Amino acid sequence: MQDLIELAISATAGGCIYALLALAYLVVLRPTGIINFAVGDWATVAAFAGYLGLSRYELPWAAGMPLVIVLAALLGWVTERIAVRPLVERGAPVLAPILALLGMLVVFRESVSLIFGPDPLPVPQPLGYGRIEWGLIAGSYQSFFIMGVTALLFCGTWYFFERTLAGRSFEAVALDRKAAALMGINLRRVTACAFAAGGAIAGLAALLLTPNTSAHYLMGIPLAIQGFTALVIGGVGRIEGALAGGLILSFAEQLTVRYAPIPAGLAQGVPLVLLIGFLLVRPQGLLLARGSSR
Amino acid sequence: MLEVRNLCGGYGGGNVLHGIDLTLAAGQTLALLGPNGAGKSTLMAALTGTLDKRSGSMRFDGREMGEAASHDIVAHGLALVPEGRHMFAPFSVEDNLRLGAIRLHHPTNARLQAQFDGVYRLFPRLAERRNQATGTLSGGEQQMVAIGRALMSAPRLLLLDEPFLGLAPKVVEEIHDALERLRGAGLTMLLVEQKLDIALRFAAQACVMVKGRIMLNESSRALAERADLDQLYFQLARAVDMS
Repeated sequence: MQDLIELAISATAGGCIYALLALAYLVVLRPTGIINFAVGDWATVAAFAGYLGLSRYELPWAAGMPLVIVLAALLGWVTERIAVRPLVERGAPVLAPILALLGMLVVFRESVSLIFGPDPLPVPQPLGYGRIEWGLIAGSYQSFFIMGVTALLFCGTWYFFERTLAGRSFEAVALDRKAAALMGINLRRVTACAFAAGGAIAGLAALLLTPNTSAHYLMGIPLAIQGFTALVIGGVGRIEGALAGGLILSFAEQLTVRYAPIPAGLAQGVPLVLLIGFLLVRPQGLLLARGSSR
Repeated sequence: MLEVRNLCGGYGGGNVLHGIDLTLAAGQTLALLGPNGAGKSTLMAALTGTLDKRSGSMRFDGREMGEAASHDIVAHGLALVPEGRHMFAPFSVEDNLRLGAIRLHHPTNARLQAQFDGVYRLFPRLAERRNQATGTLSGGEQQMVAIGRALMSAPRLLLLDEPFLGLAPKVVEEIHDALERLRGAGLTMLLVEQKLDIALRFAAQACVMVKGRIMLNESSRALAERADLDQLYFQLARAVDMS
């Protein structure tokens, strides 16, 4: 029992990371229709920014974390300027920016490897090493930190989309681009903000993850795949889907590693199996957008 | 108020609009008639800046807006009620209307409330359903939301693209009455219609558009008295082909 609860807590923390990456996909995908596989490498760049700020220059977390997130938002914004806007303005089909973003992914990854080299670099624990033990409930500080921050972010994002005019106008663009333009919503600005928000969320995910795993230049691709799988599981209609998808994926992974009689290496295939399974059986995901009847 | 000169444009490859000239004076109501596929909706998209490409001149209230983005055009007081209503279906009536006012510059609560009140006076049914998702409303009620949403931006020129399409006769009357009241309040309007009778009844002046060109521009009365009214679209289309 103790064992299962501990596993559940670490799986929840891991699922939070996947959920954040799924959310980083989602905030870009909803208003623009663009699937942005560069989220993983936004996270890589942010992870190394975290290494620089928090390890090399020893900034306190309270200062380093906002700084890295702002830089990641800026990265998202610049990415949109370089790889998306010029194509959209020439009337390119939506596949064009998706491919351009795949190219940007390689640019980010190789830039990081050129600057920082191939070795993993450490990012410190925000709350130090240590464990919380309340009766049966036990886990590392970092696990609880990840869950707390993720819960706050999802609440904030939900509030933004449901309760603010800016959030409603983002949703309006997602629902009907033409009508949104006719309302006078500035589509270009919404796209730019969506990419900046996606960058910030991916950056936050990296900062939460790397104290456990270190920053490494190849960390982007698995994150991109896991986030995308969580997105497909949860469905692209609403933000709760990203959270549910991330948690389901993480539990499936960890339960397989712990209890399934297969070599640990094969467990890495779990997200891909889930991804293929969902695409075959329920491509719309678990949670549907409101107003959708499928 | 609106002066369009040699406006061309279309989607992707070819042009749909071939040199449109159009003038609309303040307070005027103009009907834009024409058969299916004449380019009426494309012209509406060009006027609101939502068309892929366009060229030519469009002056609105003395300001050149031929290259302006859609949000600037709305901000300057030109709003379109699009064909097919284009509801934000999961949103409530009130949220739909609120989004219509997004280009009002830093509206005070009182100003915003005045806009809401204006729409609810025009369509009292919407006030009863203000918290209902627009996707669950009837077609007529959705059309009222679409018109109300455009009015929320306090436009000086309102474009209406086939607002009566697919509605029951009773609802058509209701919306027609609302438009009459807007006309009475001095709003300049351009009504796109396929059906001659309802358009000629509403607008003082009428243009006929065929194959991306304005082929006729005269008073509704003169147009209604033409003996060849039934054949009008057909004859104008033939005139385009011959030229």
